[in-house]
Amino acid sequence: MLFKILKKDFQRNKAIIIALFIFIMVSSLLVSSGSRVIIELFGSIDNLFEKANAPHFVQMHSGEIDESVIDTFVSRNNLVKDQQTVEMLVIDGADIFFGNSQTADKNSVMDNGFVKQNHSFDVLLNLKNQVIQVSKGEIAVPIYYMQQKNVKISDPIRISNGSFDKVFTVTDFVRDVQMNPSIISSKRFVVNEADFDTLHQNIGKVEYMIEFQLTDLNKISKFTNDYQSSNLPQRGPTVDYSLFKTLNALTDGIVAVVIILVSILLIIIALLCLRFTILTTMEEDYKEIGVMKAIGIMQKDIKKIYLIKYIVMSALACMSGYLLSLGVSKLFTANISLYIGTASKNMRHFLIPFLSTVLVFVIVIFFCIIVLRRFEKITAVEALRSGAMGTTKVNTRLLALRKNRLLDTNVFLGIKDVLGRLKMYLLLFTSFVICSFIIIVPINFLNTLQSPTFISYMGVGQSDIRIDLQQSNNATQAFTNMVEYIEKDRDIEKFSPHITCKYSVLNSDGGWENINVETGDFSIFPLEYLKGTVPKVGNEIALSQLKADGLGKVVGDTLLLVVNEEEQEMLVSGIYQDVTNGGKTAKAMLPYNSETTLWYTINVNTKQDVNISNKIAEYTKHFPSAKVTYLEDYLTQTLGTTIKQVQLVTIVAIVIAILISILITSLFLKMLIAKDTSQIAIMRSIGFTLRKIQVQYIVRTLLVLGIGIIVGTIFSNTIGQGLVSILMSFMGASKIQFVVNPIVSYLLCPFTLILIVTITTLMCTTSIKKIDITKMLTE
Amino acid sequence: MMNNIILETSGLKKVYNVGKGNAQTVLKSINVQIKRGEFVTVMGASGCGKSTFLYNISGMDKMTAGSVVFDGQDISTLSERELSNLRLTKMGFIFQQGHLLKNLCIFDNIILSAYLEKSNSRKEINKRAIELMKKTGISELADKDITQASGGQLQRVGICRSLINQPKIIFGDEPTGALNSKATNEIMELLENINEIGTTILLVTHDVKVAAKSERILFMIDGNIVGEKHLGKYVKENQDIRKREEQLSSWLIDMGI
Ligand SMILES: Nc1ncnc2c1ncn2[C@@H]1O[C@H](COP(=O)(O)OP(=O)(O)OP(=O)(O)O)[C@@H](O)[C@H]1O
Ligand SMILES: [Mg+2]
Repeated sequence: MLFKILKKDFQRNKAIIIALFIFIMVSSLLVSSGSRVIIELFGSIDNLFEKANAPHFVQMHSGEIDESVIDTFVSRNNLVKDQQTVEMLVIDGADIFFGNSQTADKNSVMDNGFVKQNHSFDVLLNLKNQVIQVSKGEIAVPIYYMQQKNVKISDPIRISNGSFDKVFTVTDFVRDVQMNPSIISSKRFVVNEADFDTLHQNIGKVEYMIEFQLTDLNKISKFTNDYQSSNLPQRGPTVDYSLFKTLNALTDGIVAVVIILVSILLIIIALLCLRFTILTTMEEDYKEIGVMKAIGIMQKDIKKIYLIKYIVMSALACMSGYLLSLGVSKLFTANISLYIGTASKNMRHFLIPFLSTVLVFVIVIFFCIIVLRRFEKITAVEALRSGAMGTTKVNTRLLALRKNRLLDTNVFLGIKDVLGRLKMYLLLFTSFVICSFIIIVPINFLNTLQSPTFISYMGVGQSDIRIDLQQSNNATQAFTNMVEYIEKDRDIEKFSPHITCKYSVLNSDGGWENINVETGDFSIFPLEYLKGTVPKVGNEIALSQLKADGLGKVVGDTLLLVVNEEEQEMLVSGIYQDVTNGGKTAKAMLPYNSETTLWYTINVNTKQDVNISNKIAEYTKHFPSAKVTYLEDYLTQTLGTTIKQVQLVTIVAIVIAILISILITSLFLKMLIAKDTSQIAIMRSIGFTLRKIQVQYIVRTLLVLGIGIIVGTIFSNTIGQGLVSILMSFMGASKIQFVVNPIVSYLLCPFTLILIVTITTLMCTTSIKKIDITKMLTE
Repeated sequence: MMNNIILETSGLKKVYNVGKGNAQTVLKSINVQIKRGEFVTVMGASGCGKSTFLYNISGMDKMTAGSVVFDGQDISTLSERELSNLRLTKMGFIFQQGHLLKNLCIFDNIILSAYLEKSNSRKEINKRAIELMKKTGISELADKDITQASGGQLQRVGICRSLINQPKIIFGDEPTGALNSKATNEIMELLENINEIGTTILLVTHDVKVAAKSERILFMIDGNIVGEKHLGKYVKENQDIRKREEQLSSWLIDMGI
């Protein structure tokens, strides 16, 4: 009898058991892939850092440099293990021609640095993690350009500014421990020493990277203090080991987290499917269970046979998921392999994904045991007498047909059925909520990323044009000229110049650290503040969120800043979000010092009828030393890879959601129709046409779908927004506000889901035709 | 084309395909005519094909060969939709079990097909249902679940439901099969009243007492109508039912029972 029940159960529920299997398998596939991505990521990063011999502290500097001062510092500081000063020739993107194209990328926001190979550390590697060697006339190109510009080995690259012209041949690609991630807006090209000298004499502007390796990695912050309180060159940002690691891990880390989140959603659906299956089969077996109890089979044993079935199935599903993940892991780790390289595998690579799979299995079985507890509620007598389980008893009084004056009868019956058996529709409902959630969250996020207002997460007010000028010997003059020129320009509606300087601030450890503070009038292009407001008076300062967190400050706190060699107490007036410059910036209205100035920016809005691209062309010509960007281009380029990744996630999410909704809808209807066969036969006998019964089913699924979409949308804009904010907080924006495109999110998405579910329902309900009315009625 | 024949079958044949190549001929060649307003019963041994006959003449099952003309229409030419519509508007069904919808209360079960049919206002339909329930003596059950009523009561609900659209014919497949004799008598009385006002009735039954109240009895053996007995309209006031029962019994014995 026990065996008979199991066999019958499988035959009866073949479809749902297969679906369950798939859900559990895919969940375990994703969980183990996600955890593998994380393991792989950290392993590869460690490997890359080791192979490249990554620097621990880097000070960028633009301007003159005195090696002897550095040497003295090094000889006196016992934390320094090694030091090197890297000369980097920054060449404007407008002077670089990739492949055979005749036009350079004028809109490029990347700083293109040309360097020689380093000898002691910060070694630039190729795709095989070997040290790059280039001969005369050869060049190694950053991976970023290999992907973005589709550069191939032996392609030509021309460097030309009109007066100077030189062609290189691409022989390798650069895996750069410092500048790999696309969110870092500098990239390094490697050329031969002789070529470097030629370039140096003819084109570009030299910047320095003063790099250190320390004897003790844990003392980076102490060393940073030492460095910053010294008289060493400091005109430029500093970066350290942990930031390199974070930036390298960011993009793929987020992908891994998203994969794991999706798998959690799938597990939820799997668990609901499981509950639905157990309850329906239990209901159908109710009599048999009663009989078993009546003839004295122990409850424990009955429960065991059900449990064994699910243990076997889940174990098989989890195992196949894990094995599949071994096969497809390349897909998920392709980006890692490309940008960071692969490390040799060890036990961890297999063990941790395996353990996460085991976790999925344990969750499923634990859930089974909880659902199977209902067995205890079945008493033999009750089962034999009623033959039906109390749980799915319908509520007939909830809505009375006779009181219904308006609705079509079939629509009414559909609605009534849903309301009368709410618990049963839970599976369908939750699946629809999840489906709309996993469609709408990425779509809204994508739309937010692509909207011009996203700039406010970059610590900048919204404007049409942005002009960037790096500090150099004649930058101050150039800046003054630019401001004068723009002031006279009648096409300009408003503009606002800002100067970013370096100051020292007292940190929570009691040491001094650098802070880049932007000064200027922040009311012209207002920025939305997370907390507090824009600095309005001289002693107020606004901090980016990551900086505020780093300093342990909140709005209303005070901090000590060194301004013109005097300590000044500043009041934190506001906190804003910023994903640029590692997310650590500040704004205040301070007197600026050209000695410590890092860069200049001017935000410009043109008048309504002015052609922006013409204006950009004009400024580019007039301000040769500055970089003029259309703000939307700036966004799409710095966020380009992120946008591409989110686009991919969105497409995958849509496909998954559509598949889930088709699968669950058809499964659910199959079970439902099987359950309702006798009711359908009765309706057919008294003259309901097939079409009318189909209408009832469509009303049921669409009602559940409609509510599901509404709830899913609400969740997306609350929980989903929160999740995205958590992910983005690693980049410096912890409070993302979705910019919703209502046509896509509130019209197109629901419509697509409705269409798909309607078609699925229509297809599934044609099986009603096959129901033999006469057989049902004769029974 | 109102003629006085409401239902006519000629050469009605039904073959079931049981498994591969295994055909079972359940109805062989049935030729019957039923007049408007007639009260006919079909009798025969279990498994001889009575239910199959009902399903085939009402379009619930597809006949294999022959023709069924109902109210001037050859139903073998009708589409699924037209057949459903025919059942909805012109036919009423009563089964051995109530066969009611579980998720509707009793009142809603009764009015359902009228709401679907839509030729009367919902208000009128409700009024008619209340009348029918009063007539069948189940007024107080209106808001009850179908699980809260007895078998006899459910059978009355079924009768109310079958009458709500004022059908031309009522088919009953052993409507009293699950009832005791008191309940059977009450149900039969209702059916007689319905027949009196002109509704044609075609019942399948094993019960001689039930059949004795009909005008004409068809006897079926292995998918063929092998004989029929005219008893004439039963008029309660001046006929002794027991005599009709005896007459019928002896005829049945002649037929080979
Ligand atoms: N769907 C079907 N497929 C195959 N054979 C069937 C089917 N329905 C009925 N039969 C067979 O047709 C024959 C007649 O069945 P039917 O139900 O018409 O008998 P019946 O006269 O109504 O019997 P009872 O008095 O027991 O109700 C039976 O032998 C039955 O096995
Ligand atoms: Mg029968």
